[in-house]
Amino acid sequence: MRHAGTIAGRELRSLFVSPVAYAVLTLWALLGAFFFLSTLVQFQEILLRMQQFQMFDQLRQMNLNDALIEPFFQTMWVFFLIGVPAVTMHLFTADKANRTEELLLTSPATIWDIVVGKYLAAAGFMVLMVALLGFFPGLLFAFGDPEVGKTWAGLLGMVLVALAYAAIGLFASSVTSNQIIAFFLALMLIVLFLLLSLIGDLGAASGFFGMGESVAGVMRWLATAEHFSRLTQGLVETRDLVYFAFIIGVFLLLTKASVESVRWR
Amino acid sequence: MIEARGLSKRYGDLLAVDDVSFVVQEGEVVGFLGPNGAGKTTTMRMLTGYLPPSDGTAVIGDADIFEQPIAARRAVGYLPETPPLYPEMDVQGFLRFVARLHDVPRREIRDAVDRALERCGLADVRRRVIGALSKGYRQRVGVAQAIVHAPPVLVLDEPTVGLDPIQIREIRGLIAELAAPRDGEPAHTVVLSTHILPEVEAICQRVILINRGRKVVDRPLAELTADGARLEDVFARATARDADAEEAEA
Repeated sequence: MRHAGTIAGRELRSLFVSPVAYAVLTLWALLGAFFFLSTLVQFQEILLRMQQFQMFDQLRQMNLNDALIEPFFQTMWVFFLIGVPAVTMHLFTADKANRTEELLLTSPATIWDIVVGKYLAAAGFMVLMVALLGFFPGLLFAFGDPEVGKTWAGLLGMVLVALAYAAIGLFASSVTSNQIIAFFLALMLIVLFLLLSLIGDLGAASGFFGMGESVAGVMRWLATAEHFSRLTQGLVETRDLVYFAFIIGVFLLLTKASVESVRWR
Repeated sequence: MIEARGLSKRYGDLLAVDDVSFVVQEGEVVGFLGPNGAGKTTTMRMLTGYLPPSDGTAVIGDADIFEQPIAARRAVGYLPETPPLYPEMDVQGFLRFVARLHDVPRREIRDAVDRALERCGLADVRRRVIGALSKGYRQRVGVAQAIVHAPPVLVLDEPTVGLDPIQIREIRGLIAELAAPRDGEPAHTVVLSTHILPEVEAICQRVILINRGRKVVDRPLAELTADGARLEDVFARATARDADAEEAEA
């Protein structure tokens, strides 16, 4: 596993000499700032309305976590859909274009080393992205009193969802030699995981494809949104952590199989 | 140092390499000849562990490529036909990465990289970005990445293809130098594929010729050209014989 560290280090360094990393980080920071401000403005407006209409009961229930931080995370999550594939699309495709795949596969590094190394690099970048985002709720602590635990849970949710998408993106980049295809394949898979619960509902309700309630249940479980939402609401539950570990594990295994298939073609 | 035992590679119905066996002694420079598509690259990819043979096996040093794949891969320095380079890295950083990847102990990495840079004439461009280098220099970086971990075995796939005559001479000189032991530095056992015959005459001691996946010649260069025969004729005869046989079959 020592080789994984070597490979991860190289990937990260390469990422930061390419414009993609800076473009994604800049855009991410700008979007974060924009949506944080707009959520903040909304939050104030709601407060004002409530005061105007003397809705003191509701006013007492208003808090920074539920009315500001959570919607903010929910909005920013949408940008992972394109942000994560943009970062992961080159991971394996670049090695095919540079022919460095041959260098990696004929070195003493195992295929696990290569897959885990590249994943660690992507994961590091995701953590950086979420840390950048953490700045905005951090501001609220200077001027208000959000709950620490709930905020951390939300950030954890953001990290986990980004890590899961990174595993999907890594897999997408391993099955093609074209970056653009890798990008769209990752995007499609991520969207599919978003829609799974809808497909499950539809299937169970209409009985299409002979889908029973049990299959629909599995599809609902596989969908990302519910697990993510519970975390942003401040609920850190084992079943949701298991879900993200499951998605990451499955896609890393698929990536390994896909890289290995070069040898057995 | 290298022993190929009945190496075969099948792609679907196509038998790319058919039961190829040979032995390469320590310190020997062997030219791997054959027309385009004869199976040279496939054979080399099997020796380096990139492709598993469909049949047969190979032993590199003491390590069988199936039983001790990591040890076998560690013993080989490989320059594929297209040098595997990260264009965004600088020469030195790239070689450091390759050295770490090949298990060079951490505190020997600096020396290993310096030695490879010096041997390949890259000391002046060590901080340059690989993507900005000329083709000849990139080829040298390709050789440097193959030797940076001082492997006992070097596998070079058409190392001079696409270079200008002066660069070709430099790379050949470099290969000849790598094969000859220098003080304190190990001699490399070299397998070199090419279809440039003068290249073989210039640096190889032995010739293995494969045609349509089969080994047709395996003799010392001196023996092949002993009676004044030109390598070109040997090559033409060996590859033609097969074509004739095939015509007779049909």
